[in-house]
Amino acid sequence: MEKNSELTFSKYGVYTITDSLNLFFPGIEIKIEKISENVFSYLKRDLEDEITEKKIPVTGSKLILEVAPIRPLNYPAKRTNYFYLEFESPVYLTEGSSATVFVQCPIEIGLFLHHESHKDSLDWITCDPFNSRFGLYGVPETGILCKYSKVPIVGSYDDSVDYFNGVIKINLRNELSGGHSVTKIVFPITDTSIYYDDSKAIFDSITGVLKKKLIIELFDVDTEPIQTNWTKSPTYEKIETVKRMDFGVD
Amino acid sequence: MVLDFLQNLDSIELIGGLTLLSLFIGAIIMAVGVIIARTFRLIFVKYYAPKLAKDTSQNLGKIIYFGIIIIAFLVFTASTGVDLSGLIVAGGIFGVVIGFATQSVVSNLISGIFLMIEKPVKHGDSLELPDMGINGTLIDINTFAVRIRQFDGTIVRVPNEKFFTTNIRSLVSTPVRRSEKIVGIAYKEDIDGAISVMEKAIRKSMPYVLLTPKPDFRIIELGDSSINIEILVWHPREDWGEVSPKLLKVAKNALDAAGIEIPFPQRVIWQGKQ
Repeated sequence: MEKNSELTFSKYGVYTITDSLNLFFPGIEIKIEKISENVFSYLKRDLEDEITEKKIPVTGSKLILEVAPIRPLNYPAKRTNYFYLEFESPVYLTEGSSATVFVQCPIEIGLFLHHESHKDSLDWITCDPFNSRFGLYGVPETGILCKYSKVPIVGSYDDSVDYFNGVIKINLRNELSGGHSVTKIVFPITDTSIYYDDSKAIFDSITGVLKKKLIIELFDVDTEPIQTNWTKSPTYEKIETVKRMDFGVD
Repeated sequence: MVLDFLQNLDSIELIGGLTLLSLFIGAIIMAVGVIIARTFRLIFVKYYAPKLAKDTSQNLGKIIYFGIIIIAFLVFTASTGVDLSGLIVAGGIFGVVIGFATQSVVSNLISGIFLMIEKPVKHGDSLELPDMGINGTLIDINTFAVRIRQFDGTIVRVPNEKFFTTNIRSLVSTPVRRSEKIVGIAYKEDIDGAISVMEKAIRKSMPYVLLTPKPDFRIIELGDSSINIEILVWHPREDWGEVSPKLLKVAKNALDAAGIEIPFPQRVIWQGKQ
């Protein structure tokens, strides 16, 4: 495989492979090649120069592959369904106010094989392993293990960084008496879908409401599907039921 | 022919009104009881056990099986009209004798029952028995003993009584665990600089270490030869092996790369005449 520093990176989308295909992402190269009538070979070299090789038997003579952004849950290992986004600068909400912010959220890239009726997860890659880390929401005894990222607040969906970040719209509302700062949001990311166009990615939006239940002040977080013409990414991980929960107010 | 055979059996009395025929009928009742018990256990294992915890399903299966067999035995004794009062008295005396002789067996049995009720750990949990020096994964809790697969692959059988009374350290009851290591730097070195170097190396090369709570560095001792710094990092509970054994290597490599000295003990000896 060649050095990919001067190459144009591959776009997300569906590729029909009859003979061979080379995909290039920042620091990662993937080569798919037909090696016999019904078998393709898959070769990946990642950022740490590790090689992954697979043989893919197919029923027809071609292989259909979809490259799409996926939820950032697989590197270094799948351990949780939750994501912890800490804002680089807090959002201050006065009493009764609401605000909409856009924040960047890391993504990984999934590779899916298309069959007649379904899509199989073939492999995943991350172009930003050094920023793919865990964090704990709460105390060690009872907290929730999450994937963690400290993220900037950006202007709009256009601020998605190709292959590294998607953008999430977060609707915040303060129903409490008095002003509060929102510094983080923790949510089950498996409840949100990702959509892609070219090499940009966006997530379903999130609604966070600061409210009072009986005498406890809570930050109620929920996900909300967005209306978009972008293509919805397939789900890479096995779908599990994740319980919704309220999070404490800072 | 068959009737004659049965009448013959009925005429043969074994003991206290118990005839060969009633024994024969009893055998049929017991056989039917065993078949019913097995069928019920099979249905339970197939349809209900998968929804329960493994220990609970195993124990419930045993209760169902032996419960039906005991009922079959009671039906057998009731149908034959055997007077069990003598047997009960004899059994009582026998029980006392056996009780003394098998004290530890009974103790293990009772401890097993309490373990099943209290459930301090469950099947598949990683645990440590510090008093016994045992680390591993709990395979099962049986009537008399628990079995633990140690991390070196060997299996240890611990009697229930010992397991029940010893200290148990669960390694999986919280979502995260902490690993600690101590590293020493020379007195001439800058402490904050050394901490910063190690923090950056951990951030870069240890993906399982949590960013929040972030790694903590504590000066724990001004030692004979070095300033000893304790490194404390949190990681997912499953990934102890990815963090703890590698932490010192990462710290040492980072200090070496930054030219920070890790001293070894040195002693200056003065001879009296000097």
